[in-house]
Amino acid sequence: MVNNAGQLYTMEGVAAGLIMLLTAYIVVSTTSIYTTGDTHIPDMQLEQLGSDVLAMMDTPDIDGGTSELVGFVKKGTGIGGGNDLQDEFLANCKMRSGDPDDNLRAQVYLSYRTLGGSVNTTLLSSPDPWFTGRENTVRVTRWVQLSQQPGDMPGDMRTDPQAVLVEVLLWRA
Amino acid sequence: MACMNEDGQWIVLMGLLVAVALFFLALIINQSALVGQTTAEGVLEFPKNDIRDLRSAVFDYIDASCDSGVKEDIVAISLERKNAVVSFTADVTPWDNNLYMVDLHYNNGVTVYNETVYY
Repeated sequence: MVNNAGQLYTMEGVAAGLIMLLTAYIVVSTTSIYTTGDTHIPDMQLEQLGSDVLAMMDTPDIDGGTSELVGFVKKGTGIGGGNDLQDEFLANCKMRSGDPDDNLRAQVYLSYRTLGGSVNTTLLSSPDPWFTGRENTVRVTRWVQLSQQPGDMPGDMRTDPQAVLVEVLLWRA
Repeated sequence: MACMNEDGQWIVLMGLLVAVALFFLALIINQSALVGQTTAEGVLEFPKNDIRDLRSAVFDYIDASCDSGVKEDIVAISLERKNAVVSFTADVTPWDNNLYMVDLHYNNGVTVYNETVYY
């Protein structure tokens, strides 16, 4: 014969167990944070910085003059071209108070429409020797209009007036 | 059970309430850590600089006497490198030869931007 005395104690035990489980759940969920990482915030800052620097470099000193950026792009990959653009861009990015931010690195690309009508992207600065392709990079771009072909460019580039896209890959090493 | 001392139950109950309230406050603090991420994602997603740069490129195109090759460049490179469908027209207004009516459309799949501007 089943004895049904003490059923209330059993129920109390079950209730206590549930309360303990709930407490453990709340404790764990309030003290741990589930995020996929907060890299978005420095990415946003870096992208904004890069865009601002490109916009600044694309602003002519005098009304109707040629901007610094256009001057660099016109030289192509030659002297006074892509490498100097990269240096000047990084120098402008590092222009701030406090530590000089030496870890900032950049690589400049140029996208153009070829004679055949497709879009080609070429490296304008010399490749960064430490670039592995796994860096957390941001890309900032700026339109530049050219009246003729820049110096030392691939042969499929057109010679008539054209719009090209300067792309800067920016990352912290 | 009948012999249990029932004094002080209110104090125990209030203590429980305070403990639960503390846990909820901790939950709110926990969630606040996500705020910066969503904001940053929103800023990264929104192509503010792209649109402003496109506008200035279109104005440069008008300054350079509306070369059709430049227009094709902007449309083709936008699609290829910026993942954005861009379409624009610039027509001289009938009442002023130096005033252009620019119709600009931009769509990168997330943000759609349409503008009619006189330049």
